Amino acid sequence: MTTHPTVSASGLTLRYGGTAALDDVSFRLHEGVTGLLGPNGAGKTTLLRVLATAVPADRGAFTVLGHDPGTVNGRREVRRRLGYLPQTPGFHADFTAFAFVDYVAILKELTDRAARHREVRRVLEAVDLSDVRGKRIKRLSGGMRQRVALAAALLGDPDLLLLDEPTVGLDPEQRMRFREVIAEAGQGRTVLLSTHQTEDVAMLCRRVIVMAHGRVRFEGTPAELTARAAGRVWSSAERDPQARAGWRTGLGAFRNVGDPPKDAELLEPTLEDGYLLVLDGEPVEVASA
Amino acid sequence: MSDDKHDGIGWHADADDLRAYARGELEAPRLWSVDAHLIACAPCRLALAEAGDPLALDAGWARLDAELDAPRPGVVEALLTRIGVADHTARLLAATPVLRASWLSAVLLVLAMTVASVYTADSPWLFLALASLLPLAGVALSYGPVLDPTYEMALVAPLHGFRLLMIRTVAVLVTSLGLNGLATLALPEYGLRALAWLLPALALTTTGLALTARLGPVLAPALVSGGWVALLVVTRATTHGTLVPFTAAGQGVAAAIAVVAAVSLHRLRDRFDGSPSPSSITDFAHRSAS
Ligand SMILES: Nc1ncnc2c1ncn2[C@@H]1O[C@H](COP(=O)(O)OP(=O)(O)OP(=O)(O)O)[C@@H](O)[C@H]1O
Ligand SMILES: [Mg+2]
Repeated sequence: MTTHPTVSASGLTLRYGGTAALDDVSFRLHEGVTGLLGPNGAGKTTLLRVLATAVPADRGAFTVLGHDPGTVNGRREVRRRLGYLPQTPGFHADFTAFAFVDYVAILKELTDRAARHREVRRVLEAVDLSDVRGKRIKRLSGGMRQRVALAAALLGDPDLLLLDEPTVGLDPEQRMRFREVIAEAGQGRTVLLSTHQTEDVAMLCRRVIVMAHGRVRFEGTPAELTARAAGRVWSSAERDPQARAGWRTGLGAFRNVGDPPKDAELLEPTLEDGYLLVLDGEPVEVASA
Repeated sequence: MSDDKHDGIGWHADADDLRAYARGELEAPRLWSVDAHLIACAPCRLALAEAGDPLALDAGWARLDAELDAPRPGVVEALLTRIGVADHTARLLAATPVLRASWLSAVLLVLAMTVASVYTADSPWLFLALASLLPLAGVALSYGPVLDPTYEMALVAPLHGFRLLMIRTVAVLVTSLGLNGLATLALPEYGLRALAWLLPALALTTTGLALTARLGPVLAPALVSGGWVALLVVTRATTHGTLVPFTAAGQGVAAAIAVVAAVSLHRLRDRFDGSPSPSSITDFAHRSAS
């Protein structure tokens, strides 16, 4: 890509006791939505928290639009350009949705009351919460709270949006709605979206990063990830013992990924197949960006 | 449209207020009452149209539109803005856990019990010991990941962490010292001696905060409180009469400690904004929670 990266990170390492939550993680993020896939404990949340300046890395460094969060001033500049949706966002449950988002807006230095309130209304509208803005957060459903937190992340039109599993706990209709909001946010902005849903990636993302055990296992486009499984997905009546992974599909047959036997009935690969293959076995070499 | 100043609504906005409003210069809470009034009162809207220049008026309408559905602030917030606190500061304070009614009533209860104990035991030392400690407890509980559910959100926001800490600390201190003061009024026979908690309270609070920059928001206040209790227990076992911290010399030492701690707290202010070193307080919640 010719544009300057929004984020460039090199050698990020963070250990919690014996486990390396991040192990020499390097990558660049450009405009558009980048998906972050990985199994539980892969280090996705840790990576997002480091990028959000909530926790410093033990080693390595990163910049956001050229600002270095290792310095006091750089960190403030990074924070000014940041929208962060934590995996388990906290709330002041007695606040109304409006008051809570307003509170976050104040933390984001929007002190002019009229302009701030306009901005709060805009983001609440964007996540479809205008109708319940006067309700106390403790009376909102889990999915609505998730949307309140997303609204707070969208405040001030940040250049970099870090979203940690934003589609968890949403009903299918809301999930689609969320994807629209995220896709829209990805226009002219950089979004890093951690998720367990390969559909999120297939539908939204220009690029995808796969992590496991704190390391980057794959970085490339969704099509490239899917292509990893080309010729490596086949169907069989029973689970093929040779397969790296296999599961019974709705049609009754087994879908296997791995190294197929000679006469196997090959299937069209999906992103999920590519993801499973990338996770399996030895670290896969990183595709060049 | 009539100029009648007393129709069904009962009052009309002051002409000066309307002009200030049109210029966007009217301050809360007066701003809110004019806002609310304009929504209900057509004559005043017309008067407003005449009061301001068209450009400012547009901005005024846009604002009014936004105000229409911005919820009213809560009791605490309304009170704070009434006494002159900026509305954004008031909202930050309303998000401070210890400024909630539940905490304040707990403090009142504790104070009432210790005041009662002064009467039954005929000695003020339990009251003085507790009144010295309560402000630190309040400040410690208004900061940090344990009681602030939005701690991480606040941490990664550009507003400087130290500024947020100071806004909350001042509010909690004022409240806490005020409650202590009220309790002191219930002990008139001890005279000024009943105020001997004030300097130790300031010393304990500033020391607790200064150490928080190094030790984190749980360990630091715990150590300082523990040290205070230990000091009192030891001096009580070894001395008769007034406990050392409440003597004139003790008060002088407390004042000196408060000043030194305040200076070092100011020096360490950037520590409250997320430090580049991994052992900083910023990650305390996560490291200690697992
Ligand atoms: N605060 C912490 N203290 C100790 N260990 C931690 C902490 N946070 C994360 N870890 C460890 O770091 C590793 C990565 O965790 P992380 O939360 O980043 O994973 P994740 O990819 O977000 O997982 P999930 O999909 O379940 O959200 C895990 O082994 C986890 O146990
Ligand atoms: Mg996670």
